[in-house]
Amino acid sequence: MRRRNFLALGSAGAALAGTTLAGTKKRPVFQPDAACGCEFQVPAAGAGRGGRGAPAPDAFANLQSGIKITGLKVFGVSLTPDSDRPYVFVKIETNQGLIGWGEGTLEGKAGAVIACVNDFKDFLIGSDPMQVEHIWQSMYIHSFYRAGPVMGSAISGIDQALWDIRGKALGMPVYKLLGGPYDPRGVRGYYHVDGANRDQLIQIRETAGQLGVTCVKAGIPGYYEWIERRPKIDQAIKSIQTYREALGPDIDIAVDFHAKTSPSVASIIVKEVEPLNLLFIEEPCPPENIQAMAKIARRSTTPIATGERLISSYGTRELIEMGVVDILQTDINHTGGITGLWKVAASASVSGISMAPHSCEGPIGGLAAIHVDAAMPNFVVQEICGQVKPNANDKLWEEWLGFPAMRMVDGRFPLASKPGLGFELSEASLAKYPFGGTRPMARVFHDDGSVAEW
Amino acid sequence: MAPQAAEAMARPDVMAIAEIRHFPVVEPGSGNRYSLLKITTRSGLIGWGECGHDPNADLKALQSAWVGRPANAYATIAPSTPFRAALDIAMLDILGKAANTPVYRVLGGPTRNKVRAYGSGEFPVAVIDVPAPASRNQGKAYENRILKLIEAIPADRDFVLAGNGLLTPGDAASVARTVETKHPLWFDEPCSHSNLDTVRKVSGETVAPLGFGEGIDDPGVFQALLREGLVDIVRPDIAIFGINGTRRIAALAEPYYVAVAPRHAGGPVGTAAAIHIAASIPNFFIQHVPGPADERDRAMRREIVSPALETNNGGFLDLPKAPGLGITVNESALEKYHAS
Repeated sequence: MRRRNFLALGSAGAALAGTTLAGTKKRPVFQPDAACGCEFQVPAAGAGRGGRGAPAPDAFANLQSGIKITGLKVFGVSLTPDSDRPYVFVKIETNQGLIGWGEGTLEGKAGAVIACVNDFKDFLIGSDPMQVEHIWQSMYIHSFYRAGPVMGSAISGIDQALWDIRGKALGMPVYKLLGGPYDPRGVRGYYHVDGANRDQLIQIRETAGQLGVTCVKAGIPGYYEWIERRPKIDQAIKSIQTYREALGPDIDIAVDFHAKTSPSVASIIVKEVEPLNLLFIEEPCPPENIQAMAKIARRSTTPIATGERLISSYGTRELIEMGVVDILQTDINHTGGITGLWKVAASASVSGISMAPHSCEGPIGGLAAIHVDAAMPNFVVQEICGQVKPNANDKLWEEWLGFPAMRMVDGRFPLASKPGLGFELSEASLAKYPFGGTRPMARVFHDDGSVAEW
Repeated sequence: MAPQAAEAMARPDVMAIAEIRHFPVVEPGSGNRYSLLKITTRSGLIGWGECGHDPNADLKALQSAWVGRPANAYATIAPSTPFRAALDIAMLDILGKAANTPVYRVLGGPTRNKVRAYGSGEFPVAVIDVPAPASRNQGKAYENRILKLIEAIPADRDFVLAGNGLLTPGDAASVARTVETKHPLWFDEPCSHSNLDTVRKVSGETVAPLGFGEGIDDPGVFQALLREGLVDIVRPDIAIFGINGTRRIAALAEPYYVAVAPRHAGGPVGTAAAIHIAASIPNFFIQHVPGPADERDRAMRREIVSPALETNNGGFLDLPKAPGLGITVNESALEKYHAS
């Protein structure tokens, strides 16, 4: 009924606009619906809160928590002026003074995520932040195009901030709302040992032992063509053998192929390193083609991990139902936040797939992931892109958050005891690192000038 | 909302389970049995849960596994735990009370402001059971009997055709094709799900939506049905999966664009749990509410749990607003209906 009336008004309005134009030479009023004549053009929600096409304002009037979202801020945080991966932090404010922080860092596309977060302002201001599932669904579905990495990261940042508020409002850390923890001591984690030579690895082994760190991750050297020559393949195999030799038999080693290899090249290397008993091999080929990933996994006894670039449980559905990979590395900053990661983990468990969530961005996403990890039956290990020995980043994060964020104690990331995500962050502390703009990520090429994966 | 909760939760001893009690009950008319669990924390919070009647369920094993452990850690319940659905529901009841908010809000809802329901004559959606076949391979006469049942209700009244797993593959497919132009909401348990080839046959021959869930206690069965597009409504049983287990299956079904209508054949505590599930998941469609024919059974349901959450409000159930499940259980009434 509303639609019929609306369309009738639309054509009358167009006629009126014509008259006005002839009479007064005013600029014609744009009539989008009349111009479209399109049955499916639903009036924009932002066209007027409570007005035409807007969600019925009283649908949840009797079920309100009493908290309302009053502000949405998004921060691009560039640690160096020319950083290619500034952090994107989201701050949500409420009428009751509760503040929520979330992270939507998307490497190389910070500006796009910042814009996308701001696009969701109309979805949020005035809403009840406790209805996180409802808001998530609205952001995902009413955006029509469903989520790719940019929108997924924006939703992730907002979702984490909403969960932070939820936990604070309910007086509990988020992992308790999710039914955790499995282990009150925290969740097992791993650091990175990229670029370390044999001597450094021996040193790392010793330090890791002292710190109780039981797992590390390394990469493979160079860039790989679709088909590779013998020296290149031997070099990759030797580098992985070196990790095992220098780090010893007792530490779990994950090796990140970073999708630098084609399925053809990866399969050869994966087979040769089987005797090393790696914890997993990560992204042995790019992520879009699930069949290609499955082909590698089927011929490997080493667990295969992938999924950091897949968005929401929609993006992981096929991989999970095929049940050929062992570990999903869903990233809480891209997949749709806490809501998204929880759903992927729940689905993956039905296929017996473990979770090793990816975290290589800022501290907020990592801290948020720990809460979900602590309530997962199929959790195996949590990443952080830090080193065994704390570095400048760790120092900065501690300055911001007041505790050594994403540093393990006895091989585990400790659980927060404060409500929400369990930290406080001031805008002032971020002000020293203003947004330096979006810069391209690394561009690498083969000897012949053709594009290489990194 | 709950300034004191953070403090209480930080001291795990206060939130530890002090006592787990079991109240098996039986409806006097139907003889339907279900199990209620009462969990008490050291701080005195009480949670109620419900699961199906299982004479072999080992209460002592449940108590030795969970007394002393934190009452909030519902996600860590092992699938093999006796009474696991009731334990899960009771723990979420406690978690909601500790947070001073309804369970659906603990879980990120509400996603809707009312819960569509069916199950007894007072709800607008009808249930039409297929007649028990006299013998296998019924043919056209049997299909016509079912059509007559459908034509006996008003043409604009929605209905669920319940196959109850009684039909052979061929009959299930024929019946589905016969009724599909009558637009049932769905054809429930048209055939057994134990042979996927059977389900493939039925699904391949009809556009009538198909619902499965009866007797399924392994989420992998739902995954197998979803993977091949063989199911349109997944129906995890609340008495088996509880709140968290049902929500996990809902999450599994969501990227297949498949709806959830949890099975529920138990008592009013289960109905309360169902309402919180419905109000916290995005892909909920409708909730079955057992509507016993015998007035004594209806009286019992009203007597053991208040408020009466099973009340029909224009085809829907209202969401409770009180903390936890939002119900009070009358313990003396439980004694009255005790199933010895």
